[in-house]
Amino acid sequence: MSARADVLLWAHRVIGRKGSQPHQLLEIDAEASPEEAQEAFHKAARLAHPDLHRTTLTAEELEIVTTAYGRLAGAYQDFRMQRAKTTRMPALRRDPAVDVGSTTVPLPTLRGVTVPDGRAIKPTASGASGAMSSKALLYYRKAELSLRRGELRGAALQLKLAIATDPQSALLRTALGEVESELAKG
Amino acid sequence: MGSSMTVALGIDLGTTNSVAAIATPTGVEFILGARGERVHPSVVAFPTAGGVIVGADAKRYRLTEPTHVIHSAKRFIGQNFRNPLVQLAMTGVRYKVLEGSNQQPIVLVRDRRLTMPEISSNVLLHLKRSAERQLGTQVKDAVITVPANFTDSQRQATKEAGRLAGLDVMRLINEPTAAALAYGFGRERKQLIVVYDFGGGTFDVSVLRIDGEIFEVLASDGDFFLGGDDLDRALAELLAAECTRKLRVDPRPHAALMMKLMMGAEAIKIHLSEHDAAEGEIDGLDLPGGNVGNLSFAVTRKQFEDLVSGYIQRTIDVTKQVMVSAGVTPREINDVLCVGGSTRIPIIRRKLGEVFGREPNTAIDPDEVVAHGAAIQAGSLSGNLSAGTGMGARDAVATGGHSTLGRGNQALPTGAVKRPVLMDVNPATLAIQTAGGFTDRLLEKNAPIPIERTRVFSTARDAQTRVEIDCCRGEQRRYTENEPLGTLVLEDLPAKSRGELKIEVSFRVDADGILHVRALDQASGARQDAHLQVLGAPMASDPQQTEGPSE
Repeated sequence: MSARADVLLWAHRVIGRKGSQPHQLLEIDAEASPEEAQEAFHKAARLAHPDLHRTTLTAEELEIVTTAYGRLAGAYQDFRMQRAKTTRMPALRRDPAVDVGSTTVPLPTLRGVTVPDGRAIKPTASGASGAMSSKALLYYRKAELSLRRGELRGAALQLKLAIATDPQSALLRTALGEVESELAKG
Repeated sequence: MGSSMTVALGIDLGTTNSVAAIATPTGVEFILGARGERVHPSVVAFPTAGGVIVGADAKRYRLTEPTHVIHSAKRFIGQNFRNPLVQLAMTGVRYKVLEGSNQQPIVLVRDRRLTMPEISSNVLLHLKRSAERQLGTQVKDAVITVPANFTDSQRQATKEAGRLAGLDVMRLINEPTAAALAYGFGRERKQLIVVYDFGGGTFDVSVLRIDGEIFEVLASDGDFFLGGDDLDRALAELLAAECTRKLRVDPRPHAALMMKLMMGAEAIKIHLSEHDAAEGEIDGLDLPGGNVGNLSFAVTRKQFEDLVSGYIQRTIDVTKQVMVSAGVTPREINDVLCVGGSTRIPIIRRKLGEVFGREPNTAIDPDEVVAHGAAIQAGSLSGNLSAGTGMGARDAVATGGHSTLGRGNQALPTGAVKRPVLMDVNPATLAIQTAGGFTDRLLEKNAPIPIERTRVFSTARDAQTRVEIDCCRGEQRRYTENEPLGTLVLEDLPAKSRGELKIEVSFRVDADGILHVRALDQASGARQDAHLQVLGAPMASDPQQTEGPSE
């Protein structure tokens, strides 16, 4: 019955790591290649795909394994998307035709709710696009993306770049202040 | 097979035809119809004489009692009646489709109102009973295949059909994935394959990586309203023009006439897959005014290809797009599987050959491979699988002997076998509405399933005690341009200043591709689970559901 014990141990370990970065859940290096990520995910699937345990685990145990597997799949998807974004970034910079000035960039705000994790920078959507140059807005948008991924350092860097192109923007300085104070908290 | 073994049925529930099979130690055993045929028309007839008739026998009522013959129910199942595609599908059927409760389409036949899951449950029950007769044992568990691009509500409705037929639907699997499983199981090889599935009513294409027992779908896409029926219709239009010219009767307003032309078109299409030209006569056309006419026709393959090239090109475009989504190039593909009867059309194989620089695989039976894969998964989930069950095992053994697939396939030792691990993908992007009418994506299309994503939100107003979370399906930035799925409401939240209340929203897509949403107030632990009730899907408490299959 060691297969059963193995998968349950694995599931509890994954669930216990709630809030970890994708690479931590996948147990790979932050700089791992897509192939390494895939290998890690396949390895976990061979051990813990819920279908493999349908006939051997109780309903309750299977639910735990399914939850853990689902979170790992989420982490794998996050990791792949981060990769896709970082490789697409340079192309975005080379394309000055992107007219960000005319598009409103809404911060990720639910109807009456602010995201993510409450530590978002909170200017209004129209305020953001009105209060800075289009170039700065591009960096600001990237900072937003970094924040969504929980990368405070990346967000701070993007905000500094934004401030470099638009030193007048009070909004950007406030945002950077918020991010840096979050960083200081660790 | 020992009688103590549980038998789990793999079912390819198609738009026009269905196939069922069970896994055996040496392959699969197909469930046969009364005349020994493996393919069962997905047709349910309610003849005036009484009773319910399913399959090949039901098809025979198409000409005599067209309004009592229900076919293509898959085009309606789990759809919203008000969806323009449903309106379009209604133009292709002779029976009456009405709007039922919760905006679901229902069939009115001989004064009975039947939901689409009820219609499909008749087909499933027919297969279940045929299997029980053939195998001499009870059949309870099943794996049913669905198009990869089926929505949440279409999947729920299909499961409901299974339940009504008295089946425990262990799993829904995507048709291209099932085909890949039949092809690759037991092959023990690393491969990158494309499954091009062009059936009677739907088109799907998937890219998969096979690595030993792992079947990972890298990307999948398709067109729900594109199939062989559309090619028939294009050809029938051509025949209608001929009819107008030669017989001086425009058949298009006459449903019975058009039905005959459609059947003629299907026969011509099949003939043209083997021959360069089709020539002949459609006789017994009941013309208005009581005359009976004969329509002679002559169609070349070239003419037919020109007629349908727009449809074919659309499938090729989707195929190229899905390669981009999967991050692979055509040159990397080791094999191209053709699934669905329409792939017998030569122009399709030619076009695929051009895209991939290699001939598509012709060794698999395009009508049976999906059910074969479903049977493998059914065997696996019920803990009843042998290495010889896959088609891939053929490579490993000497050819010769009897095979259910018409190819050499010898018995392999049963027992220790690695169960396949299917890693399918989320069929569509799932998002929630954010301020300003935009969307925030929670789960991307082509993310691996089962998957769970959790995000934490906080309230924006002081003393906010209620939060609404609108969920939708689609790629568009604007909420209203996507398909709404439903709204999750969290009420009676403790009044706090804004930003203080933390709400955790989880999206989970299970292995069947069905979405479950959960919202949780982190502080109080107040929880709101939602199985989003989608308009068009049957409701659990729907009184129409109690009738069940009517065989």
